[in-house]
Amino acid sequence: MFHQPTTFEQALELRRALGTDATVINGGTDVVVAMNHGAIHPQCFLDVSRIRSLRKVERQNGHVVMGAGVTFSELGKMHFRALREASLSVGGPAIRNMGTIGGNIATASPAGDGCVALLAMNAEVQLASKARGDRWMPLVDYFIDYRKTALADDELIHAVRVPHNPRSRWYKIGKRGAVNISLVCCAISQNENKKTELAFGCVGPIPKITPKASALLAGEELTPELINDAANLVTHEVSPIDDQRGTATYRRAMCGTLTKRLLTQLMKDDAKGDADA
Amino acid sequence: MPDPTPMEIPMTQVACTVNGETFTRDVPVDMPLLEFLRDVLGLTGTKGACLEGECGSCTVLVDGETINSCLMLAAQVNERNITTIEGLAAGSELDVIQDSFVATGAAQCGYCTPGLIMSARALLNDQPEISESDLLTAMEGNICRCTGYASIIEAVKRAHRESQSA
Repeated sequence: MFHQPTTFEQALELRRALGTDATVINGGTDVVVAMNHGAIHPQCFLDVSRIRSLRKVERQNGHVVMGAGVTFSELGKMHFRALREASLSVGGPAIRNMGTIGGNIATASPAGDGCVALLAMNAEVQLASKARGDRWMPLVDYFIDYRKTALADDELIHAVRVPHNPRSRWYKIGKRGAVNISLVCCAISQNENKKTELAFGCVGPIPKITPKASALLAGEELTPELINDAANLVTHEVSPIDDQRGTATYRRAMCGTLTKRLLTQLMKDDAKGDADA
Repeated sequence: MPDPTPMEIPMTQVACTVNGETFTRDVPVDMPLLEFLRDVLGLTGTKGACLEGECGSCTVLVDGETINSCLMLAAQVNERNITTIEGLAAGSELDVIQDSFVATGAAQCGYCTPGLIMSARALLNDQPEISESDLLTAMEGNICRCTGYASIIEAVKRAHRESQSA
C-alpha cells in the first residue's frame, strides 16, 4: 500500500494503525538508498511529503521552529550559520531539494550533518502520536544508540526547535568538495552568557556532544590557552572507530583540530565585535 | 534451498505529467521514479548509475526543482509535473544548453550529460544573474568521469550568455 496523507492528523492516524508495517518516507534520500542496496524491502509506505504544515519555519517564544519536512535547500537559507553551512554541505542541490531535517533526525546516522549542527545549537525535537499527543525532548536525549532513537512505533517526528539567538560555527572534513559524507564534522554554538556547546559527527555510534569541554568553557572569555585545553578534553571525550572513510586516530586528532579552529574563529570575531546574523 | 517465492509487491496508481504529456499507470509501490521513466514510459534519456545519490546522472526536474530520480518513488510523483532531458528540445530545435554542450565539446561518453543538462536547466530557469559560485554549486551534484569539468562549465556559461542575449 502507498499512503500519502495531506494532513499531519491523518499521518498520525495511519502511523497508529500501521506502526512499523509502514515505512515512513519523505525525500527518500535514506529510505530509497537502503532499498536500492537491498537492505530493506518495504511493501507499505507512509509518505509524509505532501503534508504542507511540515514545511513551515516559524518563530515562537524565542525559538525558531522548523517542521520535520523542511528540506536542506530551505535550511540553507537560514540565518543560523552552523545549520545553514551544515545543510549546504549535504549532497548536491538535488539531494538538498529532497532530504529533510526530520529525515536526518529519523535516520539518526552518526554522520548526520543536520543532527550535529542542531545538537550544538541545543535543539529540541517534537515527537507526536495519536494516542499521547506531542512531546518535546532535548535532541541529545533522542539519540540512544547506533540508529536507535526515542521515537516510539506509533510516533512521527513533528518539528525541531532551536533557541533563537546562538552564534554558531560549522566545519566538515570529507574526501570531496561536494556530495561529501562526513569523515568528521564539528559544530559549536555560544549564547549571550558565553555558554558554549560542541557537537561532533562520525566519532561514535550517535551524533555526540562533549559535556566536559562545554563545562570548561562555560561563561569564560575565549583565550588561546583555554581553547587548547578544550581541544585536548574533546579528544578524550569522543570515541571514533576505524572505517572505510578514515581511522579512529585521525578522527580523534581532527576533533581537537576542529575545536581549535572553530573556537578561534569565535574568539577573533568577538575581538572584532562581529556577531552572526 | 531455492529462493522463497518473491512476494507480490502491491500496486498503486500514478497520474503525472511528463514533458507536458499526462500519463496514468499502475506501478509497484516500491518502484523508483528512474525505473518508471525508463522502463514504463520508455524515456531512456535519463540514466541510472550509482543509485545512491552520489552521481547525479538520474537528475530530472519535478515541479521545476532538480531531484535524483533514483531516490524518489514513482508513487510520490502523483499529480506532479516532471521534465526529463527528452522534454527540452522543441522538435529538432535543441535547447540552448544542449546546443552549448555540442558547441564546446562537453560530452565524451555522454552518460552523465542528461543529468548535467537538467541541473543546468534548473539553474538557468531560476536565476537571470549567475555568479561563478552559483554555477559551481548548481553543478556540484553531477559527476563526469570523461571530459573533465572545464568544457562542461564553459558550456553552461555559453548557454547562459546565449539565453541572456536572446
